[in-house]
Amino acid sequence: MAIDWHQYRCNGYHDELFEKPGQPRAAARRLVDYLGNLGAAELAERRLAAELAIKIMGVTFTVYSEGRNVDRSWPFDVIPRAITSREWARTEAGLKQRVQALNHFIQDIYGEQKIVRDKIFPASLLRESVNFRPQCVGMKPRHGVWAHICGSDLVRDLDGTLYVLEDNLRVPSGVSYMVENRLVTKRVFPELFETGSILPVDDYPAQLYDMLAAMSPRPGNQPSIALLTPGIYNSAYFEHSWLARQMGIELVEGPDLFVGDDDIVYMRTVYGPKRVDVIYRRIDDLFLDPEAFRPDSVLGVKGLMRAWLKNKVALVNAPGAGVADDKVVYAFVPAMIKYYLGEDAILPNVPSWLCMRKRDREHVLANLDKLVVKPANESGGYGMLIGPRASKKEREKFADLIRANPRNYMAQPTLSLSTAPTLTEDGIEPRHLDLRPFILSRGDSVYVTTGGLTRVAMTKGSLVVNSSQGGGAKDTWIVDLDGETEPPVQVQTQTQKGGRQTQGSAARPARRRRTG
Amino acid sequence: MLSRVADDLYWFGRYIQRAENTARAIAVHSNLVLDLPRNVAVGWSALVEILGVDDLFRARYGTGYAEADVVRFLVLDADNPGSVASSLASAREILRTVRESMPHETWEHINNVHLILQEGGERLLARSRRQDLLQHVLDAALMTYGILIASMSHDVGFQFMRLGTNLEQADMTTRIIDVRTSSLIKPRAADEALRPFQNIQWMSVLNSLTAYHMYRRHERARVRGTAVLRYLLQDREFPRSVMFCLNMIGATLPKLPPSRAAERALERTGAVVRDANIERLVESGLHDWLDEVQVGIGKLHEAIAASYFKA
Repeated sequence: MAIDWHQYRCNGYHDELFEKPGQPRAAARRLVDYLGNLGAAELAERRLAAELAIKIMGVTFTVYSEGRNVDRSWPFDVIPRAITSREWARTEAGLKQRVQALNHFIQDIYGEQKIVRDKIFPASLLRESVNFRPQCVGMKPRHGVWAHICGSDLVRDLDGTLYVLEDNLRVPSGVSYMVENRLVTKRVFPELFETGSILPVDDYPAQLYDMLAAMSPRPGNQPSIALLTPGIYNSAYFEHSWLARQMGIELVEGPDLFVGDDDIVYMRTVYGPKRVDVIYRRIDDLFLDPEAFRPDSVLGVKGLMRAWLKNKVALVNAPGAGVADDKVVYAFVPAMIKYYLGEDAILPNVPSWLCMRKRDREHVLANLDKLVVKPANESGGYGMLIGPRASKKEREKFADLIRANPRNYMAQPTLSLSTAPTLTEDGIEPRHLDLRPFILSRGDSVYVTTGGLTRVAMTKGSLVVNSSQGGGAKDTWIVDLDGETEPPVQVQTQTQKGGRQTQGSAARPARRRRTG
Repeated sequence: MLSRVADDLYWFGRYIQRAENTARAIAVHSNLVLDLPRNVAVGWSALVEILGVDDLFRARYGTGYAEADVVRFLVLDADNPGSVASSLASAREILRTVRESMPHETWEHINNVHLILQEGGERLLARSRRQDLLQHVLDAALMTYGILIASMSHDVGFQFMRLGTNLEQADMTTRIIDVRTSSLIKPRAADEALRPFQNIQWMSVLNSLTAYHMYRRHERARVRGTAVLRYLLQDREFPRSVMFCLNMIGATLPKLPPSRAAERALERTGAVVRDANIERLVESGLHDWLDEVQVGIGKLHEAIAASYFKA
């Protein structure tokens, strides 16, 4: 039975696929038609196929529950989210601009601090920043890049404007799921990809490798690159292992590395010590090097900072890059763009009140029931107050927290995050979502993923999209509508040529496997 | 190849082989007990001795060596590092760490049998269901080994896995022989009527190492103690004989970065096994000689670890 899209209600939010009930947006037209014709029963079957594929492909994330770590299958919604390539081009330009300004800012902060002297950025903020690393002062990493990899969270409000919610500059994760989501969608809806108007996403590992290689302190040599993971109990271990495998680089843990008397970093291999040029580290600053930071860290490598400061090894992202990954510093990004690049920000920030400013603080305390309050340095959606959903007691607790440490809090209006049709227990319903694109900076060029990771709050009405808190994901399509005018004839000859293969392996491979 | 990963793959080979041998020893012993006459007391302590964990066992269960206790201890007990469940859990943990260097199917088989043991455990230990449970373990181990040989690159990592497999098998074979021969009924001292049962016991030694059929084809004669020992210790073609395993290690070492220490340790133990006069050892000194071989295998392990895993 065909799906009647008129039954799908957007409930007054901006919907990513529908302009109004029954009327799809341009980027989603083909998708909506296709799903409609497929019918509810077939869609449910494809969903099972997707779940099976995820299980077989072993796409997991680790959660800490009931006193131990368990590997859970990646929660995935089969209905993709679509964006036109035109809108994306503008977003991409905005993200590049933003990350360039952020890298200038970090270099400036650990150098001359011109932005502070010119009174654009308050010195007090710097003094109280928990992510400022005095050890990095005076350092100039290769090509002036500190935040090589940035994951920025974008959200869309009621009027359709795409806002930047935050920039993750420490160890942003999720990119492996972006690529795997596409693989699953291609297995489940191969028919939709036949016209080629959905832009591919799987170039990321190659781009990442090139960027890492460009950071090598020994240019010209075949660089030796390693991904440093905290180990299998980390929630993102799947991604660490996935990225290492995709790039063909070593996946190492702290004890696999050591720094010699020559300040060079080596891996312990069966052939003896081998020099490492670039480390893509997926552990936090404070655990990197017990000599420089937390002396009790067993995850890090003694002497790593020494090696980095002497330019014997590249660390990606650079230690100290987190100084700009602070929800209060965030509010200054548009000013940074103006200051360093002389441009206006292409992508707007969400309006923010900084509790360190007296007037802002009074406004926040008076409007706690309408605002979202965030601590400066938490991630994963922890430690926030969602005013309209909080109890009176919770709000009072937060008021005390803000008064005690105003620097640590900022507030934003409760956004009406956009929704998209999502397959739930009760059929197709709107669920709120965000988007995390990943931006790679090499100094001479900046690369932005085609789309990014769409995270969706699977619980009805929920605004929390983090996978650690019941969030799921959707494949994200950047749809090239100009390419659609191409006659489909050519494409058909192509499928005929490879006809056997297409039918045999792509039709519905997820179901060929038997269990038991 | 990272030293840590090489170490992990080596131990993965050992754990799988250990789980398989332990499961087989229990299955065979459970069968043997049913065949022996009631007045011959065949205890369950021999099984615990094979794995060298008697102290731990006595601390937990006392000296009764009741069947149920021994079987639980050897199959499920998480506090016994040599139990089947512990070996498989360790192998599974390693797989999680090195999943990028192993074929994915390996994970499915190991994970599956791990879950069976964790979830079904206790109630599958009764005599009536025990064989099924143990068969699951044997299947998973052999399947894993087969997958690795058929679909893993035979790279350096694979060679380390193979080193572990062969070293563990050589060790297990000597342990099984040692314990089984010391607990054999000595018919000369006892009743002539017990002689047929001695035969059964030698068969069970062979069965513990899946060697019965291969032995028959090799010897074409009834089962005799000396010939069985010679077969399990010195045969160059049976893959669980000590000599075969040591030769495999000898063929693997040249594919790794050179280590004089490992080669020397192997040469020394290899000579001890090759040159032994089994007839004379059966008369006296077999136990001490097996001890010497086991110490040699231990030294070989240490040499491998020192050369490759502690770089």
